[in-house]
Amino acid sequence: MAKELKYNRRRLQTSYLSTVIGITLVLYMMGVLGLVILHAKKISDYVKENIGFSIIMNDDVKEADIFMLQKTLDATSYVKQTEYITPEQAANELMEDLGEDFISFLGYNPLLPSIEVKLNAQYANNDSLEVIKNQLLENQNIKEVDYQKSLVHLVNENIKRVGLILLAVSVLFLFIAIALINNTIRLAVYSKRFIIKSMQLVGATQSFIRRPFIAKGVVQGVIAAILTIVLLALTLYWSQKTIPELVDVQNIDLYLLLFGFVLLLGMIIAWISTYFAVRKYLKIKTDYLYFY
Amino acid sequence: MGLDTIISLNKVSVYQKQHLVLANVCLHIDKGEFVYLIGRTGSGKSSLLKTFYADLPVIDGNASIAGHDLRTIKNKQIPMLRRKIGIVFQDFQLLIDRSVEANLMFVLRATGWKDKNKMRDRIDDVMAKVGLTTKGYKMPHQLSGGEQQRVVIARALLNDPEIILADEPTGNLDPETSDGIMNLLFDISKTGRAVIMATHDYGLIERFPSRIIKCEMGKVVDQKCEEDNVGPETNNHDLEEDKLEKDGTQNVVEHSDVIIVNDDNQTKEEHNPAPEIDSEDTKPANQG
Repeated sequence: MAKELKYNRRRLQTSYLSTVIGITLVLYMMGVLGLVILHAKKISDYVKENIGFSIIMNDDVKEADIFMLQKTLDATSYVKQTEYITPEQAANELMEDLGEDFISFLGYNPLLPSIEVKLNAQYANNDSLEVIKNQLLENQNIKEVDYQKSLVHLVNENIKRVGLILLAVSVLFLFIAIALINNTIRLAVYSKRFIIKSMQLVGATQSFIRRPFIAKGVVQGVIAAILTIVLLALTLYWSQKTIPELVDVQNIDLYLLLFGFVLLLGMIIAWISTYFAVRKYLKIKTDYLYFY
Repeated sequence: MGLDTIISLNKVSVYQKQHLVLANVCLHIDKGEFVYLIGRTGSGKSSLLKTFYADLPVIDGNASIAGHDLRTIKNKQIPMLRRKIGIVFQDFQLLIDRSVEANLMFVLRATGWKDKNKMRDRIDDVMAKVGLTTKGYKMPHQLSGGEQQRVVIARALLNDPEIILADEPTGNLDPETSDGIMNLLFDISKTGRAVIMATHDYGLIERFPSRIIKCEMGKVVDQKCEEDNVGPETNNHDLEEDKLEKDGTQNVVEHSDVIIVNDDNQTKEEHNPAPEIDSEDTKPANQG
């Protein structure tokens, strides 16, 4: 007797467990995708913020004026950081690159003072750069503004493409997620279709019958989400150990946001799927219960 | 019919999907009436009962049950209708995934009961009425057919419904328990509830005589309705008897006379009621 009860309970738990595991797997896929998206943003920002331009000053500009321009640039919204490069520094760099002392060869330093500007990510596109360039050229002290148009374009194009692919994949995953969860819950509800019918026959309203199913579904969604969050945390921990530069520990807020999103998604998907799965058997005529 | 009419069917056809089961059904049942619904297996008794609780749709004619019009009833109102009807299902319809007590508790919660103590009292009350006070903790599959049937009867009584529909409520019961249940149902009908009972047990009808409605040849034969409409089944009795004999169901053959004679309410008293029933049980049920 006791053995039988135990067996029964274990069997019930097994089906319960498989639903949770199903939801967990799907949420984990979504979560990993979320992590990739988070890091893709980081990577793209990193690349974009390394795109910059050089402002080449005229030869006769006083160093005080250059410092003032640098200060003004630092104060604008589009500049992330600036660096003043004196002709001597530029010459040293060039000499290292060439491996040749061209100053003693030429007899003077032909290089001009310049400011290296790194832009904020959202301004790192050709249109903004053009506007910024034209503004700067109004300044008499500036000889020219130099940037690699093709590089900027290339980076932006690729990021757009990668973003689109990620978006498409995540939409696909969402569909798979809903289909999978819906299927698992539908099976659970299907096994109770006669009980649902009996409930209707004794005068229970549809929402009253639906309620415990949805409550159970949402609890399963929450449990699956918690499992997913643990798995995601482990994944982060593991990837931080293997590729430290990939994971930014300071980004904890974003990770929390992602975890919250996973929790919400688990609940919503379980709720909607259960709602429609139960609804089907609430609407169905008694005769059809035997055919479906 | 009068103000007391609680079930009123006028020229209703009962369909199982596209198949016509009963045509032109005309039926009026008053509060406080006890009515037998008889007929061979497959004659449409259960379908008629299903129509009463809106499990089968009413497609033509007029039908009104406990103030609900079955032609126009909305899906949302069906639970409200079913709360006014206590149904003893032929196939029990117990919730097999929970104990007997939880089954009864479910019905109470579903119909809006809140107070835990009152709910428990009510459950003890109905379980005592059907003589199952010690089985509340069991699962339905652990009970015998008769015990399950009594649980279903107890469930039907929970909300003190205006109408009780019983589809062979004594089919799995021993004679003593059957008599107990019959006395219970008659007592309920005496408190102003309509009781409709489908049965094959003509011995039971003999011992507890009351108004009889008969399903045969796709028609419902009811004395009361014939007064309003000319009944189409005037000469069907002999034919029916022949068929019954071929059918081989001893119960039906043995008591086929009883069906016909009892069809008339007035002749009821001639069939001697079984000695164990006091006459009070039968008389009030005849008033309709």
